[in-house]
Amino acid sequence: FELISDEGYRFDGRKPSELRRVRCNMGVFTQADGSAYIEQGNTKVLAAIYGPHEASNNMRSRVCLDKCFINCEFSQAMFSSAERKKRSRGDRKGKDMSAHIKQTFEAAVRTQLYPRSQIDIYLQVLHSDGSLYCACVNAATLALIDAGIAMKDYVCACSASLTKETSLIDINHVEELAGCAEFSAAIMPKLDQIIYSELNGRIHQDELGQLVDAVTNGCKDIFAVIDRFEVITDNTEIAVSPRSLHS
Amino acid sequence: MLKSKVIMVKTRSGKILKIVREHYLRDDIDNGLFGGKLDQHPELQNDLVSSEHFLIPDTNVVLHQMDVLEHSCIMNVIMLQTVLHEVKHRSSPVYKRIKSLCANPDKKFFVFTNEHCIDTYSARVKGESTNDMNDRLIRIAAKYYDKCLKDRNQTAVLVTNDRANCALAKKEGLDALTIEQYVKNIVGYPELLDKLAKADEAIEVDKSISYPEHLKLSQVQAGVKSGKFFQGKLGISRENYLEGKIITHGEDGKEILIQGRLNLNRAVHEDVVAVEMLPEDQWSNPSGVILDVTVQPGAEITDSEKKKSSGVPTGKVVGIIKRSWRPYCGILESFGSPEMTRHLFTPAEKRIPRIRIETRQAKTLIGQRIVVAIDSWPRFSKYPQGHFVKALGSVGDKDTENEVLLLEHDVAHEPFSQAVLNCLPPSDWSIPKEEFAVREDFRDLPICSVDPPGCTDIDDCLHHKDLGDGTVEVGVHIADVTHFIRPGTPIDNEAATRGTSVYLCDKRIDMVPELLSSNLCSLRDDGDRLAFSCIWIMKPNAEIVSTRFCKSVIRSKSSMTYAQAQMQIDDKTAKDPVTMGLRGLNKLAKILKHDRIEKGALSLSSPEVRFHVDSETHDPIDLQNKELRDTNSMVEEFMLLANCSVAKKIQQEFPECAVLRRHPEPPQSNFDVFLNAAKSRGLELNAATSRDLAVSLDRTEEPKEGIHSYISTLLRILATRCMMQAVYFCSGLESDFRHYGLAAPIYTHFTSPIRRYSDIMVHRLLAASIGADKTFSELLNKTEIQNVCKNLNFRHRMAQYAQRASVGLHTQLFFRSKVVHESGYVIFVRKNAVQVLIPKYGLEGTVFMDRDFEGNTTVNADDLKYIEDKCEITVRGVKLCVFDEVTVQISHDATNVQHQRINLKLVHPKINGISI
Amino acid sequence: MSNITIRLPSTRRTQNQYETGTSYLVTPGDVITEDTDYMRGHGTYCTGDADDKLYSSVAGVVERINKLICVRALKSRYTGEVGDIVVGRVKEVQQKRWKIETNSRLDSILQLSSVNLPGGELRRRSATDELNMRSYLNEGDLISAEVPQVNVDGILSLHTRSLRYGKLSQGCLVIVSPSLIKRRKNHIHNLSCGASIILANNGYIWIYTTQHSSQTEEGDGGFIISNESIPIEDREIICRLRNCIKCLAKRSVVLYDTSILYAYEASMSYKVKQLLDDEVCDEIVNKTIYLLQQANVGNSEY
Repeated sequence: FELISDEGYRFDGRKPSELRRVRCNMGVFTQADGSAYIEQGNTKVLAAIYGPHEASNNMRSRVCLDKCFINCEFSQAMFSSAERKKRSRGDRKGKDMSAHIKQTFEAAVRTQLYPRSQIDIYLQVLHSDGSLYCACVNAATLALIDAGIAMKDYVCACSASLTKETSLIDINHVEELAGCAEFSAAIMPKLDQIIYSELNGRIHQDELGQLVDAVTNGCKDIFAVIDRFEVITDNTEIAVSPRSLHS
Repeated sequence: MLKSKVIMVKTRSGKILKIVREHYLRDDIDNGLFGGKLDQHPELQNDLVSSEHFLIPDTNVVLHQMDVLEHSCIMNVIMLQTVLHEVKHRSSPVYKRIKSLCANPDKKFFVFTNEHCIDTYSARVKGESTNDMNDRLIRIAAKYYDKCLKDRNQTAVLVTNDRANCALAKKEGLDALTIEQYVKNIVGYPELLDKLAKADEAIEVDKSISYPEHLKLSQVQAGVKSGKFFQGKLGISRENYLEGKIITHGEDGKEILIQGRLNLNRAVHEDVVAVEMLPEDQWSNPSGVILDVTVQPGAEITDSEKKKSSGVPTGKVVGIIKRSWRPYCGILESFGSPEMTRHLFTPAEKRIPRIRIETRQAKTLIGQRIVVAIDSWPRFSKYPQGHFVKALGSVGDKDTENEVLLLEHDVAHEPFSQAVLNCLPPSDWSIPKEEFAVREDFRDLPICSVDPPGCTDIDDCLHHKDLGDGTVEVGVHIADVTHFIRPGTPIDNEAATRGTSVYLCDKRIDMVPELLSSNLCSLRDDGDRLAFSCIWIMKPNAEIVSTRFCKSVIRSKSSMTYAQAQMQIDDKTAKDPVTMGLRGLNKLAKILKHDRIEKGALSLSSPEVRFHVDSETHDPIDLQNKELRDTNSMVEEFMLLANCSVAKKIQQEFPECAVLRRHPEPPQSNFDVFLNAAKSRGLELNAATSRDLAVSLDRTEEPKEGIHSYISTLLRILATRCMMQAVYFCSGLESDFRHYGLAAPIYTHFTSPIRRYSDIMVHRLLAASIGADKTFSELLNKTEIQNVCKNLNFRHRMAQYAQRASVGLHTQLFFRSKVVHESGYVIFVRKNAVQVLIPKYGLEGTVFMDRDFEGNTTVNADDLKYIEDKCEITVRGVKLCVFDEVTVQISHDATNVQHQRINLKLVHPKINGISI
Repeated sequence: MSNITIRLPSTRRTQNQYETGTSYLVTPGDVITEDTDYMRGHGTYCTGDADDKLYSSVAGVVERINKLICVRALKSRYTGEVGDIVVGRVKEVQQKRWKIETNSRLDSILQLSSVNLPGGELRRRSATDELNMRSYLNEGDLISAEVPQVNVDGILSLHTRSLRYGKLSQGCLVIVSPSLIKRRKNHIHNLSCGASIILANNGYIWIYTTQHSSQTEEGDGGFIISNESIPIEDREIICRLRNCIKCLAKRSVVLYDTSILYAYEASMSYKVKQLLDDEVCDEIVNKTIYLLQQANVGNSEY
């Protein structure tokens, strides 16, 4: 089972250090404070942000007096994978994923600005084709920016895997199935800080450096893509803004 | 870079899954034409193609005509990704071969990633089958190359095996040829034609036979799933090539017998087949008859021999799941005129049927060992058909025969590649200064090595030093091969594939290049060497006080043979430290051995002989049995001790990924025949545990009335054959670590890294555990280790077989012009024959009890009485029983060039019509 | 079956004409300045390390007032300021106070003591008033109010002790981003087109029919809702206004009485429901912007 051909191409025709096609859209919901949709190849995720708002009744116990708390809910559509599967909201995988995303954003959102509040991150996977965590984080970042919530930096996530001493980034479902170790990390690209990392499977200590480098580069590529997109949408808004300043 | 998507819908196991995969198209894919492999003009001329041309083979050509493609004149070939993928799915051996061709820079095979290239991609047309689509993709790629090559006045020629595809391609204006047309018209290489694989239609229709049709793969799979058919690997009997059996998958792997040409239905040894059970009243028994191909060609079991009652499960082959054909060595049969093009080929492996081939070189090939590959086996052809691959040399020539046995046992014996040699240190390498800093300096210790005479790859040394406080220091020093063989380098990969050095009677096939095996790593007494040492502090009663491991630098004081060492020990006047050390070691070894045997270690026996080889002709001129001295066992004891200590250490340090060696306890049923044989001579043996067996074997040493004294050795030889194979394994994947034969709870191989790859892995693990070296990922990956272990086990087995075959070959050469009378012992009694072992030559052979050497039956079944329980056979009133001493005449039989062999003829006791 | 209109794909409107050379736009993590002299305002932060750089924490426009640097997010929750007018919805009735949802980070508080109760301004609050709180304002009711005070943790206190504020009866609520509401002296307008509008600072816009009769409602404190039916013409005006506001908001045009009126005028050539079409919307917005620019030019001539 070869993940990468001798000519250096992966199953889907990418080179090891190439991302899948990234497309994204902000402000897809009007009801939510912020929302975004992202496609990384065939992995498609919707993110909606509500807040910061008054803590809902059933979360009163989590209210902090000096900062806001983040509530993350991850769910996967029944039709998101090849096989139709009923998934309950609170299954283990979903809970883990929610917890990881929550952790990630607790490190990036300036929560102390919003005491006693709650920020909801709702994530809905429409199609899963590998690197779910990463697509979710990237979608949530865009949605948070859309919601105007203060963050230290963008949060960009990317996954990587290692085969025959080559690191493959942004791995898809087929590559995930190959059983190699999968390393995911979320970084703050402008500050150059890693805020989350996760390793599934085993790799040798010496290979970690290589993987981290690959993932970091991947994250920066993702940042470049979504930042460029961000500027385009911003332009439409900035069009009127200057006028509001001096009229 | 352009991207696009393709959607594929797949169904699997009833459920319908929609799998959507991305498929990126690129415009930056190299087509190899500019500055790449295909930059230069191809030189091969072909009468049918007017211009310079490149070849684009399609999948079937690659699958069936590898021997043509591998010929050195075929160069400048464009391999399409589509083709490679299909080949990979259809046949992994061919895939491996084509991959290595592509990797060979001289062949100029260029792999074009056509399915991801924007110019050559095409989506599946609705309703198109995968095959049709692949053919179309290949045509599109060919068209693309044609366009690219136009302004260079060159063309791309599509070579195919499929007439329909060829016609379609021509219609589209492509240069397309069938492989036959192409090969027939190549200028200057007529011999290529012989290598052409035959298409599916039969070369020759045998009216006498019509095999049942094979079921389709889908039917077979459904049948296997429903339990109607059984799947398994066919193993043809060594004694009867028309009888085979499969062991079914599943927990209760039961055996199914398959008998007869029609029931075997074109299945060849080692094929994975689907078998349908026959009705119970047609069940039969494995024939106890030894069927000899060379004596009675085409002999089949007669009905009378099939017992209707009490048969074992018997079945017939209904479909072939996977062929495992490989190229076979053998000779052309000299029937018919050499002018004819069709010939029968007899493989050296008796379990393979004869193969029909077409060749125009029959005249030169007769009398030569040749290699032939099977292409197909049509229904109306009695034999499979194949094509000639290469000639090895004339029959009976020692080099040719060596080559044959290496090929047949899949032993890699070609010279090391340049890439491997590049990994070697310079030949004037000496130990660099920085090594002294990180290693312990043992150059002052009285270290010496003891090995068989003529040994150049010395991988172990010993020393013994009295510490003066009532304890002694004992050291085993092993060549530090891993210092030179770094993980992941070509030399490491090569060593891992070879797995072991192979010792033939007159030749050694090295695992690592000679510079290492006989010089830098060999612990000779001519200078400083790097070593990996295992040092014990022991009490005089051989109790271990402490064990430690370290990398070191040593200087062997003396390289001795076993005999020399023995002489030194016995020489009362010698008082030098080395001799004193040897004496100390010898004393400890005896205690260690005693302890070991107490625990239940077996001391078994196998007849081993050494050939004295003529220095000029390299022919064997004499042979002698291996002598066992104290010093042999002394070295062995300390090696075992080192292995056990290392095994414990690495298992402790790396419980998940230690490379260990285990010897499973044989199931009691393995001993049945053996115990029965002993019992028939009044010897009660007990094989319940290894200790019981050892004790009861020891008891047979005592002389007993009516039995010759050699019986104890015979029993030990037979007991060896009841054992299971010892195997390497990864500790994380097994729970049973025991070594049955050595009665050790844990064991590994550490002491021979020059000739075994397992030891190299163990060295690396041990070095990592003492912090002398770094770990790396493959070393800690248990599946990876298990894969390497699997290969090592296979290579070891093959090496053993090759060694045995080599001894056989030399025995034949030895007896070529001799006729000798020698005494031997009956070790097995069969229905129509006895198996005789001649200890003097380590030779074993069959003496038939019902026929003479021309295969004529001389003894009627009535005169033959076989009693299985008592292991005896009575022929014309003369009773032969197991362990009886007989005298046989040994001669060389060259009447059949293919299977030259040693004939044993009974001399004593005298039996009318059998003995001479 | 109703007709379904499907629009053909059209190229995305790019607004090159508006591109400003000096981009004040930043995204989270951007360094705004390395100069330490500036004070950091909303939407910025320092890492606290030695480098002393000022970073942006939201995506938005940099605003510089003397030494204070802020980044105004393009879209965010409402952050209240004293004196703002808000429209909100009653979320909860508690002891002596209502919790009002005002699109701010935390719910705002309307004390029982901060409302005009029936019976005059100077009436004493009694225990019965506490029990009757629901009869004044119930969950789901809409009110308009003013922000007299912002608490330390960001909670807004509201009051409705003016006749201009209080419970809202019949009308239409439009929610837009708070940043689109232009800060002016007056946020409640009786528009010349025949309807009134409350452009609350929290982005909630209330459109209702102008009360012509200036009847004194002091007696009931403004808690009685009139259920008089509103004539169809007035309703149409309200709807048209609502759609115009939606159009402007969609294109992020700042909302104040003039811009809304211009848009209303520009929309007159279309039916109300046509305003929901993207093309019509674009045209109206462009016209409005043109008119606004004209007006600006006109103003500057004086």
